[in-house]
Amino acid sequence: MNRPTSLLLGALLLAGGCASAHAASYIDQRRVDAVQGDVAAGAAKATVCVACHGPNGNAIVPAFPRLAGQRAEYLAGELHKFKRGTRPESPMTALAMPLTDEDIRNLAVYFAAQTHTPSTLPPPDSQTLARGEALYRQGDPARGAPPCQGCHGADATGPEAGAEHYRAWPSLRGQNGDYLVQRLQNYRDGKLKDSSNDFVMHGVAQTLDEPSMRALASYLSSLPPASR
Amino acid sequence: MNLLSASSRSSFPPRRALAAACAGVAAMACSSLAFADSGIGVDLWRGNKLDPTAGTRSETPDENGTTWLKPGQNRSPTGNLYLGPFTPPQPEQYGDWRGYGTLEVGVLMVPTGDQRNALWNRYADWKEGPILGLLDYTLERASDGTYANFRGSRISDDDEYYQATFGRAGAFKVQAFVRDMPNIVSGNAKPVWNGVGSNRLTLPSGLTPGGSTPAQIAAASAAAPERTLSVTREKQGLSYSMFLTPEWTAYANVTDEQRRGARPYGGSFFFPGLGGSMETVKPIDDSTINVNGGFRYAGAAWRMDFSYSGSFYRDANTRYTFESPFVMASPVPGALSAPVYQGQMSTEPDNDYHNLQATLTRKLPSLNGEVSLSAAAGRMQQDDTLIAPIDCRGVFGVGFGDLQLGPQNPLLGDCSQWNTPAALSRRSAKMRIDTSMVDARMVLNPTSQWTLRGNVKYDRQDYRTGDYLLYNPLTGQYGYIAENGSQPSIIPGEGFPVGRFTEVGNMRIRNIPLDIQTVDANLGADWKFDDKNTLGVTFGYNRYEPTHRERSEINDSSVKLTWINRSLDALTLRVNYTYLKQSGDRYDYDPYEEFVSASLPGYTPPAGGTPVITTSAMRKYDMSSFDQNKLDVMATLALRDDMTVSASARLDRKSYDARIGRQDYDTGSATLQWEWQPAATTNLSAFLGYDRSRLKMSNVNDALENGAGTDPSLGGPTYPYDAQWWLRDKQRNYYAGALFDHRIGRVRVDAGWNYTYSRGTDSYRYAGPDALAYPTTVPPGPGSGAFSPMVYRVNSFNLGVTIPIVERVSLRVFDYYERGRVDDWHYLGFDQSRYIGGMLYTDGGPQSYSNNVVGMLVNVKL
Amino acid sequence: MQNRLLQNRLVRAVVVCGFWLLFGAAAQAQQTREELSRNLPASGLSNEEVQSTGRTLLAAPGFAKAKVAVNPAFPDATPVGERTCTACHQLEADHFTHTLHALGLHAANKADASIPVCETCHGPGSQHAQAPLTKGSIIAYTKNGGTPIDVQTQTCLTCHEGGPRDHWLGSIHQRNGLSCSDCHNPMAKFSVEGSLAKSSINDTCAQCHQDVRMQFNRRSHMPLPEGQMSCADCHNPHGSLTAPLLKTNTVNETCYQCHAEKRGPFLFEHPPVRESCLNCHSPHGSNQNTLLVAPIPFLCQQCHTAQRHPDNLHTMQSTGTGSNPDFRVMGRGCLTCHANIHGSNAPSGPKFHE
Repeated sequence: MNRPTSLLLGALLLAGGCASAHAASYIDQRRVDAVQGDVAAGAAKATVCVACHGPNGNAIVPAFPRLAGQRAEYLAGELHKFKRGTRPESPMTALAMPLTDEDIRNLAVYFAAQTHTPSTLPPPDSQTLARGEALYRQGDPARGAPPCQGCHGADATGPEAGAEHYRAWPSLRGQNGDYLVQRLQNYRDGKLKDSSNDFVMHGVAQTLDEPSMRALASYLSSLPPASR
Repeated sequence: MNLLSASSRSSFPPRRALAAACAGVAAMACSSLAFADSGIGVDLWRGNKLDPTAGTRSETPDENGTTWLKPGQNRSPTGNLYLGPFTPPQPEQYGDWRGYGTLEVGVLMVPTGDQRNALWNRYADWKEGPILGLLDYTLERASDGTYANFRGSRISDDDEYYQATFGRAGAFKVQAFVRDMPNIVSGNAKPVWNGVGSNRLTLPSGLTPGGSTPAQIAAASAAAPERTLSVTREKQGLSYSMFLTPEWTAYANVTDEQRRGARPYGGSFFFPGLGGSMETVKPIDDSTINVNGGFRYAGAAWRMDFSYSGSFYRDANTRYTFESPFVMASPVPGALSAPVYQGQMSTEPDNDYHNLQATLTRKLPSLNGEVSLSAAAGRMQQDDTLIAPIDCRGVFGVGFGDLQLGPQNPLLGDCSQWNTPAALSRRSAKMRIDTSMVDARMVLNPTSQWTLRGNVKYDRQDYRTGDYLLYNPLTGQYGYIAENGSQPSIIPGEGFPVGRFTEVGNMRIRNIPLDIQTVDANLGADWKFDDKNTLGVTFGYNRYEPTHRERSEINDSSVKLTWINRSLDALTLRVNYTYLKQSGDRYDYDPYEEFVSASLPGYTPPAGGTPVITTSAMRKYDMSSFDQNKLDVMATLALRDDMTVSASARLDRKSYDARIGRQDYDTGSATLQWEWQPAATTNLSAFLGYDRSRLKMSNVNDALENGAGTDPSLGGPTYPYDAQWWLRDKQRNYYAGALFDHRIGRVRVDAGWNYTYSRGTDSYRYAGPDALAYPTTVPPGPGSGAFSPMVYRVNSFNLGVTIPIVERVSLRVFDYYERGRVDDWHYLGFDQSRYIGGMLYTDGGPQSYSNNVVGMLVNVKL
Repeated sequence: MQNRLLQNRLVRAVVVCGFWLLFGAAAQAQQTREELSRNLPASGLSNEEVQSTGRTLLAAPGFAKAKVAVNPAFPDATPVGERTCTACHQLEADHFTHTLHALGLHAANKADASIPVCETCHGPGSQHAQAPLTKGSIIAYTKNGGTPIDVQTQTCLTCHEGGPRDHWLGSIHQRNGLSCSDCHNPMAKFSVEGSLAKSSINDTCAQCHQDVRMQFNRRSHMPLPEGQMSCADCHNPHGSLTAPLLKTNTVNETCYQCHAEKRGPFLFEHPPVRESCLNCHSPHGSNQNTLLVAPIPFLCQQCHTAQRHPDNLHTMQSTGTGSNPDFRVMGRGCLTCHANIHGSNAPSGPKFHE
């Protein structure tokens, strides 16, 4: 074997070695397959979940997210992120660890199939509500804040169905307010950076100050569940 | 500072040319320069075969893609997938400035192959050794948009470029560059002469000028070492452009290019066996300064463009001389040949060129259109000192009985009466062409659905002060000495100047001015009949009026139909069809009468009449009438979100009205391209292509041995029907290629394949053996045959692996293999000998080759 | 020879020095402006990083007139500012930052906050931000983005009108419905120069003109595949006065730009040469030597029927291995004797022998 040939061969071998050491650094949510699962099996697995997320995923504690009626692809994506251990420290990390892919799919479709109940909290003051709605609908160009409805939909139930890359974008309608604020803070602070969608929200959240976040959260939590 | 260092003989001193150039730059750029842009000048791109993209090959595709918001790539309006972006640089901050770039250095290894092959390294001088693959560094100051960039690459001494740019976005740009470009013209030349590359080629010791035997010539040719002949272009330039106001911009560019080297060239010494012909070596040693500059205005209602272009060409040589080894031997009984043994070849004259152009455009807001008027005036001129008609000593021509000058030898010339500039009717060329152009055009969009457009362009070139008479005031003779004196030294009286009130013979006594005037007009409309379809029609008319040509007026009329369809989201279809008819006034097969000695007073035609120069059935293809049909279809189709197929088909048929001359010229092509971008770091593409041409022509041999036929008609005694012949030249090309670029983990693998196969066949038929150059070898009656195919086949493969070593540093290892095969009947037998049939050749012609190059390049992101 | 080499190097040194002189002069030509802050609204429209550097300058004249593009499809849309765009389009911003457009627009926006960045080209963003799936809600430079081609090109021409693009309107590319963005993609640096959509001028043109690009793979060709020149050295894709989009007023003028020695005028000219180089040469590539349109001697024999030698038919017999090797067929063929075929300046050169 002559010199150049062996050089080339060596390089290729080295290339092969490097290749095997690589792992995805984030979840790419720009192409998301529709999640199919077994609702009944999900229901069986969900017995642990309801402790925090409420019956049928309608969490009562405002700091915990409501899962009922949420998009299955979003739910599955979040569970995967917990399983990867890249979310901020939470009991969910440990709870998600033993879940198999199948468990995740089943849980996702289960919660997605549940009926979302209205919030029982008192509505916020009208000024906050107006500010929240304005942010959601128009954004705030002075702050560089884009309107949320662009991605989360005019009725806040998530983007129009169809495009594969929108599947994992969540419904925000009637979501618990404290949870939303905390979530936005985490995005802003770079604590949630494990998927392409996280990266988008990181940029968006940086344009919002605390009062804006709270106003938005209040507005969204005040919205009654969409009729299906 | 002498940019034109070599042109000592110039009538227009180079320093002055430079001064003029500098003055031009200064004038355009009163205070403080983009290079040649897509509107003016050349030098838009400097790259090399290692990286034709001049810097992006070594960039890494960004695995994150274009946007977080959706997968894949958008498509351009036509429907091609946009590329995925490269990983953004990680700039270093230096105060106000941020800097980033790439350094790529390494080695090329060429372990095996035919490195000197001229098809292989024609424009790419790949040599074994260290290379600077790329140095590209940018500094930017965000606060005001100022930037500086250096980019360079060096493959070898003759294949390198460096450029530096400094500017402020939207304000000004200055650029300087230096570039060397190789051009290997022969990799297997075997010139016999000493002094290759100089303006004097002398024979080696084994050969006697004018007196070598065939055996001696053959031996000298065989003994000559094989060498490479090349012409290197070394160019440097400076350019400047700036905004004077938001509406006014100014620009100026100046470049200076030197060409150095030598190339195979002709060398006429009459026919083999009588004298001999040879392929000499022409020295290339010249320099060109190109200057352009201008002002441009773009306002709300008006636009203006004023520009100047100048070019100043200087050749270090006016001529080169070469010694001929051949013995002059007249076949005419009793004729003694003068022993001429040295030839000369004039080189291109120094020339100056100026062109001023102005364009004025007015927008027509009410009709949503614009009207534009352009005018240009140019001048190209040269006034080179003319060389003497011949470079000989003693006598030229033939003598009868002896070679003594005197009335007994009227066909013997005295060299001393001809080898001096005093033998010229004028000492310098004094040639000048003035050009002028006026163009008016209008485009209107009266409604959003309709576009109406029309233009008229008038263009002419006038020969000024150029009339040159071939007249020797020393001898009172007209005409010239053909082929360095060899022709009159072999055939008594041929190519021999004629007497004052001659007698016989018909030869050129004047040069021919070629004034031309052209009018070109187009009128068209485009109709968007819905959102998805546009139909267009254009009527064209062109009147071409040459002077001293076979026709004085040629008219083209054309109609062009266009259809653009976007009715499917995934498809863009463009169809253009053109029908063109060319005709003209009466075709005069011999428009040159006033330029030959037959027009001299006292001219006496030979006994049978003055021989005709061609057949009246000849229609030169640029003067001929023809019908043309052209169809052009292009389609771009999105097969999937990440996949595109493009196809094109083109047909062009030209049918000429010519019994003798070009009769048909048809070309056609088809291409199919496929592109797939399944991921941000994965690109695959492939293409298939085919093109062909078919040229049909006819010619007719003259039947009379002495070439003194006086009947121009086809079918007459001079050009009889049974001497007619037909040739069909068919060229077929097949192309294919594929590219693969993929990331496996952190390692990037790229591969490519490129294939070209050309096959040209020339088949002929003839009415009878009289058509042939060598008629005695075929049986009587019509016949046909073909040349052996001319073949050119190239396969190239490359495979590269880029491995990250540490952060910012990666190693690229690649292998490039190229194999070419060529068959060209012009060079059959040249591998055995360059002295064939009494002719001496230098270039051995194109050769098949294969080469393998291995490269290792370390890439550092600065 | 040595002397010349030295002089050549000297010339290069002078060019480089000239560059640095201009560098210095140009650097001093910048001015600062004091009363700039007046029109800086508290909107935060300008780029933060740029703002922090303290120096204030006049917007570069090339960007001074930049304003929010007009999107006829959504006349009611309002500008939202770059920060709003990049909140979601961060990855795009990361790539866009290192382009000349970004450098200039950011600096101009800093000098004059009324000069937009993204919206200079994409038009006002409010509608798009609220309903990004609505086609045409911003000016899109894509196939199915919903913006008509005319609107796309007109938007680019707002700043790039005139100059090399003076004759865009009515040009073959305009009439065939091309958009600027078919060839240019200023959103990231895809090419070292020219803000091209592909990595070089030649690759960009080959998107549609693959049939022409292939011709450069033929046996003789202009040095395009070798990266030494580009389509745009001869053609102006933006429109010109000379078909087919030639940059000069005639074919020959175009060729003379690099082949100045052929310009002459010669004492003795060859008429078809003066008329058009394309009479004998195929400009992109050819299966023959030196870009010839047909093999010699047939190329010449299409026009020449003079008595005695140019008009007879040669066959394989006339090749170097044939029974009658003939110099009209071998090697350079006709050009062995008629060497100065482009024109001769020799007084004995009417037939281009000398």
